[in-house]
Amino acid sequence: MTRWPRSLAGQMALLVAVALFVAQAVNFALIVRDRSASRLQQASAIPALRIADAIGREAGGQPIAGDRGRIRRVDTNPIPADLPRRADVAAAVRANLARMGVAAGQVDAAVIHLPPRARDDGGMHTGRRGPRRMLLIAVEQPGHGWLVARAFWPDAGPAILWRLIAQTLVLYIVLLVPVLWLARRISQPLRALTHDAQRFSLGGAAAPVLEAGPADVRAVIAAYNALGVRVRAMLDEKDRMLGALGHDLRTPLAALRVRIESVEDEADRARMADIIQEMNRTLDDILSLARLGRPSEPVTEVDLAALVDAVVEDFRDLGHPVAFEEADRLPVRLRPSLIRRAVRNLIENAVKYGAGAEVTLAPRGGAVAVVVADRGPGIPPDRLADVFEPFTRLENSRNRETGGIGLGLALARAIAREAGGDVSLANRDGGGLEAVLTLPVR
Amino acid sequence: MLIPDAMGETPHLLLVDDERSIREPLATYLTKQGFRVTQAPDAEQARARLAAYAIDLVVLDIMMPGEDGLSLCRHIRETSDLPVILLTARAEETDRIVGLEMGADDYVVKPFSPRELSARIKVVLRRMQAGGTRQNAPESGAYAFAGRVLKTGERTLVDRDGVSVPLSTGEYNLLLALVGRPRQVLTRDQLLDLTQGREAAAFDRSIDNQISRLRRKIEVDPKSPEIIKTVWGGGYTFAAEVTRL
Repeated sequence: MTRWPRSLAGQMALLVAVALFVAQAVNFALIVRDRSASRLQQASAIPALRIADAIGREAGGQPIAGDRGRIRRVDTNPIPADLPRRADVAAAVRANLARMGVAAGQVDAAVIHLPPRARDDGGMHTGRRGPRRMLLIAVEQPGHGWLVARAFWPDAGPAILWRLIAQTLVLYIVLLVPVLWLARRISQPLRALTHDAQRFSLGGAAAPVLEAGPADVRAVIAAYNALGVRVRAMLDEKDRMLGALGHDLRTPLAALRVRIESVEDEADRARMADIIQEMNRTLDDILSLARLGRPSEPVTEVDLAALVDAVVEDFRDLGHPVAFEEADRLPVRLRPSLIRRAVRNLIENAVKYGAGAEVTLAPRGGAVAVVVADRGPGIPPDRLADVFEPFTRLENSRNRETGGIGLGLALARAIAREAGGDVSLANRDGGGLEAVLTLPVR
Repeated sequence: MLIPDAMGETPHLLLVDDERSIREPLATYLTKQGFRVTQAPDAEQARARLAAYAIDLVVLDIMMPGEDGLSLCRHIRETSDLPVILLTARAEETDRIVGLEMGADDYVVKPFSPRELSARIKVVLRRMQAGGTRQNAPESGAYAFAGRVLKTGERTLVDRDGVSVPLSTGEYNLLLALVGRPRQVLTRDQLLDLTQGREAAAFDRSIDNQISRLRRKIEVDPKSPEIIKTVWGGGYTFAAEVTRL
C-alpha cells in the first residue's frame, strides 16, 4: 500500500504534482487535437491544390504523365487494398477540391510506410532516420481514371509526448523549489511549537517559542506563548495559594497540638493527637499533589531495592508487620523522596486496612514492579478505579472509621505517572488487596 | 521533672514565634517540663532578649513576618555557640537542608508534639554538656568513607558506583552516629543514646539488628565486616577513614 504523505511539505509537493499532471494532461489533449487538425489540413490542402493545378494545366495542353511528376494519372485505384484507409483525409481532400470547383468521383487516402533512408520523389524528404510515412491520395476522375498524389504525413506520436513530459518535469521542479521553501517556512516554526507544547513544563520560566514563518503562523506562536505565560501565572498563583493555605492551616493545627498536651486523659489525648496527625497528613498530601507538576528534587540513580527496604524498615520500627524479601541491588533513575512517598503511601494503606503488608520487588518487562499485598477486606471490583480519585469514600468498612481513603493512592499514582510508571490495584485470590507500583527501568 | 545541668541551674530557653496561639501554650508546657522560658514574638525582640539574658537554647520559628527565623539563626550562629532548634511549617527537604546549613542543631515540623520538642531540647542540651562545645551542626554537609558518601541533608548514602542507597530512619541515625566518631569504640548503650531523640518512636529494635542491616548496605562482605567492626565485649567501632565534605 502506498502511504499518503502526512507532512505539510509532502502533501504540498504531491498536490502540486497531481495538479500539474492534470493541467498538463488537458494541455496535452488540446495540443494533440490541434496538431492532428492542422496535420489533416496540411496533408489534404497541398495535394488537393496540386491536383487542381494539374487538371488546370492538362486543360491547357500539358498532359499528366503516368510515371513521373507529383501528380500521376493511372487507370485504376493504385492504393493497395490492404492498407488502412484514412477516411478523414479523403473527406478533407474532397472538401478542398470541391471548394476549388473540381469534381471528383471516389477519393481514397492511405498511409504507407517507406523503408528507412529511401528517398522519395516528392522532395519532402526529411533525411531523418527511422521509418518514414507518406500519404497516398487517389482521386477518381470519372471516365479519366485516377489521379494520384503523395504527401508528407508528419509523425504525431512520441516526440510530442516526450516534449510534454520534459516540460512537465521542468515546470514541476521550478514550482517545487518555492513550494517546498514555503512549506518549510510554515512547518519549521510549527514543529518548534509542537515540540515546545509536548514538553510544556510547569517548572520555572520557560523561554518562549521563537516567532517565525508567515504572519498566520507567527500569530499562532504568539498566541501560544501568551497562553503559556497565562497558564504558568495561574499555576504560580495556585502554588502561592496552596502554600498560604498550608501555612494558615498548619498554624492552628500546631496550636491545637500544643494545647492538647494539657488534656489529662491519656487515651483522649492520644486520640486527639492522631486526628491532628491525620489532618496534617492530608494537608501534606494536598500540597504534594498540587506541586507534583513542578518537582524540586532532581532525578538520580537510586537503588530501588534499598529504597523499598528503607521504607519497610521504618514501618517495622513503628511495630507494623511488613514483610519484605531482601532483593538484589536494582539501580533505577528516579526522584527518591517522591518515590519513597509513593511506596510509603501504598504500604500505609495496606497496614491501615489489611493490618500488615507483604512487599515484593519483581521485574516486569522493561519495568520493575513494587508489589504491596495485604489480607484486608479488599475493594469491590466495580470501585477499584474510584479509589484513585482524591477523597473517594467507599461505603464499606474500609473507610468507616477514618472518613475516607484520602489522597494516598491518588498521590502514589500521580508520583508514579510523573516518573513514567503507574499504580494499579487488584483484589487477591483468597481476600485482600494487591497494589502494584511499576517504574520504567532504563 | 527538673533537668539538672552542669551548674545545677534550670536551663533558660528563648522561644521565638510570632504566633501567640502556639507560643504561649508551648511556653506553659515547657515551663511545666522544668525549663525557664522567655518569649519573643519577633526577631527584633529576640535579639534584645538574647542580649539581656543568659540564654541556653533558642527555639525558633522559621516563618515570621519581618526578619525571618533563618536570618536570625544565622545571626546567632555567627555571634555565639548557642544551640538552636527550628520550628518549620514545611516538611520539605529543601527547608531542612537550608535550616541545617544555617547552623541549626535540630528542627521539628509543625504540627509537632510538645513532648518531642521537649525531648529534643534535652538531647541538644545534654550533647552540649557532654561535649563542652556544640557539635558543629551534626546534620549539615556530607561524610566520605571508603569510597562512599553519606549525605546528611538528604539522608542518603551514595555508594561507590554513584548510586544512591536510601536508608531507613534508624539506619541513618546509627550511621550518622558512627561516622561522627570514627575509630572510637561505642557501646550499645552509647549508640542508643546517640541515636535517640530524633524520631522518638523508632528505637525498640536492638542496635545489633540495625548494625547488621547497615553492614549489608555498606560492607563488601557483611560476614567479615571491614567498616563497622565488632569489638569483643565492648560494642562497635567505625574502622574506615572519614572525611567531612
